[in-house]
Amino acid sequence: MISREVLALAAVGAPAVTAVALVVVPRRLVDVVAKAGALLSALAAGALAAVALAAPDSPLVERWLVVDAAAGLFIAVIGAVGLASVLASASYLSSIDDSLVRPEHRSRAYYGLLFAFWAILAGLPVVGNLAGAWLLVEATTAASALLVGFSGKPRALEAGWKYLILTSLGLGIALLGIVALAARSTAGGLDALSWRELSAVQPGHATLVAYLLLLAGLASKIGWAPVHNWLPDAHSEAPAPVSALLSAALLPTVLLIAWRSSQALAPVLGESATHGVLVAFGLGSLAVAVPFLWLPLPWKRLLAYSSLEHMGVIALGIGFGTPLALAGVAVHIAGHAVAKAAGFYAATPLLSLDPHAGTRASRGVLRTQPGLGSVLGGSLAALSGLPPSPLFVSEVMIVAGGFAAGRPWTAAASAALLALGFLGLAHALIETTAGSAAPGDVKRPAGLRVVLALGVVAGVLLLALTAAALFLPGSAIAHALARGAG
Amino acid sequence: MNGALVWLLVGLGLAVVVVRRRSVAVGLVTVQALVLAGAAAHAASGTDALAAAALAVRAVALGTLLLFVVSRTREPRPIRAGIATLARGGLAVALALALTWLVPAFGLDSRNVERGVLALVGFGAATVALRRATLFHVLGIVLAENGLALAALRLPNGSSFAIELGVAFDLTLVALVATVFHERIFAEFGAGDSAALRTLRD
Repeated sequence: MISREVLALAAVGAPAVTAVALVVVPRRLVDVVAKAGALLSALAAGALAAVALAAPDSPLVERWLVVDAAAGLFIAVIGAVGLASVLASASYLSSIDDSLVRPEHRSRAYYGLLFAFWAILAGLPVVGNLAGAWLLVEATTAASALLVGFSGKPRALEAGWKYLILTSLGLGIALLGIVALAARSTAGGLDALSWRELSAVQPGHATLVAYLLLLAGLASKIGWAPVHNWLPDAHSEAPAPVSALLSAALLPTVLLIAWRSSQALAPVLGESATHGVLVAFGLGSLAVAVPFLWLPLPWKRLLAYSSLEHMGVIALGIGFGTPLALAGVAVHIAGHAVAKAAGFYAATPLLSLDPHAGTRASRGVLRTQPGLGSVLGGSLAALSGLPPSPLFVSEVMIVAGGFAAGRPWTAAASAALLALGFLGLAHALIETTAGSAAPGDVKRPAGLRVVLALGVVAGVLLLALTAAALFLPGSAIAHALARGAG
Repeated sequence: MNGALVWLLVGLGLAVVVVRRRSVAVGLVTVQALVLAGAAAHAASGTDALAAAALAVRAVALGTLLLFVVSRTREPRPIRAGIATLARGGLAVALALALTWLVPAFGLDSRNVERGVLALVGFGAATVALRRATLFHVLGIVLAENGLALAALRLPNGSSFAIELGVAFDLTLVALVATVFHERIFAEFGAGDSAALRTLRD
């Protein structure tokens, strides 16, 4: 049997090797190497996830490596969204006429950056040390900022610049928190910042301030309100497959670092303090996102504000901290990834059909393009939490977990905000699919076949997740998530 | 590390917030990083010597890169910040004082160094918030990271080299990406002025 160390190395190494291979292979082989590399990388991620989730009671926790249930969940999400994003990229690349790089290097540069981003992202769930995690989070910024601005259009440059500067500055604040934690540790060297040693810091106000600085800095990358300004711009201006990776994989994976830090520091600071900060970020993000879900926004901007809402829901679930709420968090992360990625992939044919869909709300797509309209509608229905979406089940579990955690007012406020968010997205769902449309364009938009195939797969996965969600509470995986990597 | 050295680093940081020319600001953050490297080299331990080398290489590499970018994207005249020099300086000092008042002692070997670290992070944030020229945004981040490098040098547990090396690597990556964007913004808008980057709103 292959050891978990080797599988973790393969999950990170396969996309990294592909990124390097894409630099050296002849131009005619770039697409083939990208697809083969994506398949291998997803297989490696799937194998690691299967091993981690099959034995949640015996995690591997070392100084620099951790393979536990949470790592398994996140690696599975990154592998699945990475593979789908590569498959959806060919139609994006064929639909653009300009970019940051010259046309002859366009595919090579795009896929190279995408795989570099994937490799760094795959390292985050398995890194066993807070300082190592910070380095990887900062490195994701460098790779993904170039992808956000890849089209080279003024709006994309603006979005990429905001993303680069705001998140880099935020991560500087997070590093200040990490240095403060290292200074207060009784253990020596960088080992003091491993997940299992982090609880050896001295208690006190300074440790609480360090934790606040760390979370405030990470919040700028997760996109939690009030430091979310870059998120709608980057998600709406990035190439659609990159938007999917940003929203479905990057945001929750950075959130995992905040989650692991919270679990590691809870014995020192007390659960009420560590959980309270997460609940505050969660409730704040929900409250900021909901009004925007009621606005007639362009498709990708609407999905971006939905990401803000869902990162808030996940923060609430972690903040409530009960096994039921954490089971809800696991379902929510997976369900959000599948539904959001499908929605973003559908943006490529939508924009090829109607270039103005980047600046105004889309209407009546189901009337003119039934296939595309179905994917858009399915994605939005799942994201809004319309039953039988797994997000409906996960939100019920998280709110119920809030009541079980003895936070009835917060749980009630969350339920009210979720209901308002549902109404906003339901309105957008009706307008996008069945609203009054301009005279229909009957041409077949670019990349529709791939998007339809991915849409069908997403639909099956979402229904499977809903079924799985019913068995997750009380399972060994839910208890392992509550235990953490410490 | 004596108080005068910390004051020198803080003074160089404040100067970045107020100077007009990009090239002068690049020089200031480079000198600041070299002063940090000198301070690390002056310390006796082996890990501090390695940290000093990482800091010095990073300072020279970033300084060269940023001056090269300045020379490739000559502005007809310096981009005026939206806020006057004295007001910028005042706001930056106020932010630094607020940070030193809010953040309690966190365990570095001197409270003076902790105040210096917080002041530099505050000046970095103020530079990003108050300057319009895109290159100043990058310099704000470098300034804040110089503050964090100072903190890492004064860690009691001897992990400074690994942190300095990691920060140097990541900062260089971010600066490289930022220069790609800066040059493209300059080509697209005719100036590296962030005022042109305010179209995306809801």
